Amino acid sequence: MRFERIGREPDYSRYMDLKEGWLDRRIFSDADIYEEELYRIFARSWLFVAHESQIPKAGDFLTTHMGEDAVIVARQADGSIRVMLNSCPHRGNKVCFADAGNTRRFVCNYHGWAFDTAGDLKGMHEEYCYDDGDIDFKNHGLKNVAKVSSYKGLVFATFNGDAPSLEAWLGDFRWYLDMILDNEEGGTEFIGGCIKSVMSANWKFGVENFIGDAYHAGWTHDSGCRSMNDGMPFPPIDMENSYHASVNGHGWEFGTEGVGDLVLLGRPKVMDYYNKIRPKMAERLGEMRSKIFGSVASASIFPNVSFLPGISTFRQWQPKGPMQFELKTWVIVNKNMPDDIKEEVTKGVMQTFGPGGTFEMDDGENWENCTTVNRGVVTRHERLHYRCGIGRQIEHDTLPGIVYRGQYNDANQRGFYQRWLDMMTHDDFSKMPTRPEPRLGNVAETRDLPGLFAL
Amino acid sequence: MLDRPLSPPPVEVIVAVTQALHCEARLLDNEDFDGWLAMLDEDICYRMELKSRRFRADRSPPLPVGPGVIFNEDLGRLKLRVDRLKSGFVWAEDPPNFIRRAISNVEVVARPAENEVRVHSVLIMHRNRIDGTTRVLTAARTDLWRGEGQAWLLVARDIVLDHSVLPDSNLNAFF
Repeated sequence: MRFERIGREPDYSRYMDLKEGWLDRRIFSDADIYEEELYRIFARSWLFVAHESQIPKAGDFLTTHMGEDAVIVARQADGSIRVMLNSCPHRGNKVCFADAGNTRRFVCNYHGWAFDTAGDLKGMHEEYCYDDGDIDFKNHGLKNVAKVSSYKGLVFATFNGDAPSLEAWLGDFRWYLDMILDNEEGGTEFIGGCIKSVMSANWKFGVENFIGDAYHAGWTHDSGCRSMNDGMPFPPIDMENSYHASVNGHGWEFGTEGVGDLVLLGRPKVMDYYNKIRPKMAERLGEMRSKIFGSVASASIFPNVSFLPGISTFRQWQPKGPMQFELKTWVIVNKNMPDDIKEEVTKGVMQTFGPGGTFEMDDGENWENCTTVNRGVVTRHERLHYRCGIGRQIEHDTLPGIVYRGQYNDANQRGFYQRWLDMMTHDDFSKMPTRPEPRLGNVAETRDLPGLFAL
Repeated sequence: MLDRPLSPPPVEVIVAVTQALHCEARLLDNEDFDGWLAMLDEDICYRMELKSRRFRADRSPPLPVGPGVIFNEDLGRLKLRVDRLKSGFVWAEDPPNFIRRAISNVEVVARPAENEVRVHSVLIMHRNRIDGTTRVLTAARTDLWRGEGQAWLLVARDIVLDHSVLPDSNLNAFF
């Protein structure tokens, strides 16, 4: 599938110099750049659409967006998952206005065109009005996306038939993802519902905050931290033993002390649970990953998914125009956790990073005001500083990716914008650079990797 | 729960509880959080559940661990939130946002015990934030209030927010 756009083709490399460490502010509000992002990034990337646990049974569905395109994600009778445009091929109306549920049919409100959960057109109101040759049912189903694939419970879809496999797209980032998706037998699930909120901010501000911005936490969230921890501010960061790791624009920033985020969650029973399974986690994922999990950490999957591994909030920043996004948040837990621990995690997430959470409440205004202020006609021509820790890149025996030492760093943010630039400037997906060259290669299971147990 | 009592509760009770609701809103608008905490029972259960849009004829069973909550607070957690607001480090609230609550549709519907009443009310919250943007949130509340001596204390509050997508970046306010 190709997406042609008519119009000017600006030189996006003018909008940043990541070796120097600066960004042009216009990428956060310019309407033309935003439109181009929808075509070149959102219509060509693998995008997160669901967790398998949200639609366990045949007929289960949920509605979401890929970029600004509305889609339905539906479980089929054979157990597979289909993703299709939530738009009737007749006049284009949405065929499903529910957030989620179970159904046999999606029926358009306008003329009663009815589709099964695979998207095939099955009939319509007053079908006799169509003469022979007027309509070919086979070609008038709901448009399915090009590819659907899942990685350890996370379901991704892409409109791009030329996209590499999901495994190649995630690349060595799978080594990090396994810390949240595979730290215990049984894998993960989403529990409870989805909270949606609207922010008047550019979607990239949410992603870059989670991909690497540990730096903001001690200042922005000072009030939350003090109220949760008897007046104590954030503990100092160990700059020697904390890292940024970037793979193809995905990024994970983390410490190696194993408890920081679990403390912030504020639910001692959850801490106890993880301490109990940690020896097994070390057997499963290796010593290093068992120490990273639970530490102060945050991560984003390119282009628009983020999560906090120890705090268990999982979220997606859905673009709604250059200066607005819809934030969707879920709670992710290990499937094999006892129910009371799952409830403790849910409580902890809502109390910290729900919309009424003691940490979450501090973030939104910052992103909104960064977006609106950057738009000023004079202001927008000033560069933004992204140079923190630019000289701290290291080679690490165990940690894959482009690794920088020290958790307070702009390295993963630079990695994210490098990928953004790669996608905005490369027409041919196969010629796009892999950053860095992968270590995992085609190994399907990161648990089987040699060298895993090294520290 | 008996939702339509055969005989209405005494007028004095209705007046007193309505006054308590108005007083509570004024204390919160004025950021008199200690005054507000003093109106809460020590066993307060303060909840806001998540809602999602489902077809009326949806066939799927309820979620195993429930739909999730935005607030599920006891007195300790509410005090913690107040401590945060009073810490002097809440940058997003400094200068202060302007919040005004209007309470309406007050309906005393039941008396589970001699000194207890169940009350429905509607809240309209106007928030004018530091950057000048204004958001309006509406919510329905079902409360349990208990008469203790001269005062009415809030024992339980279930809040239903009338927004499937929150129209604001946070819910940094008490409902």
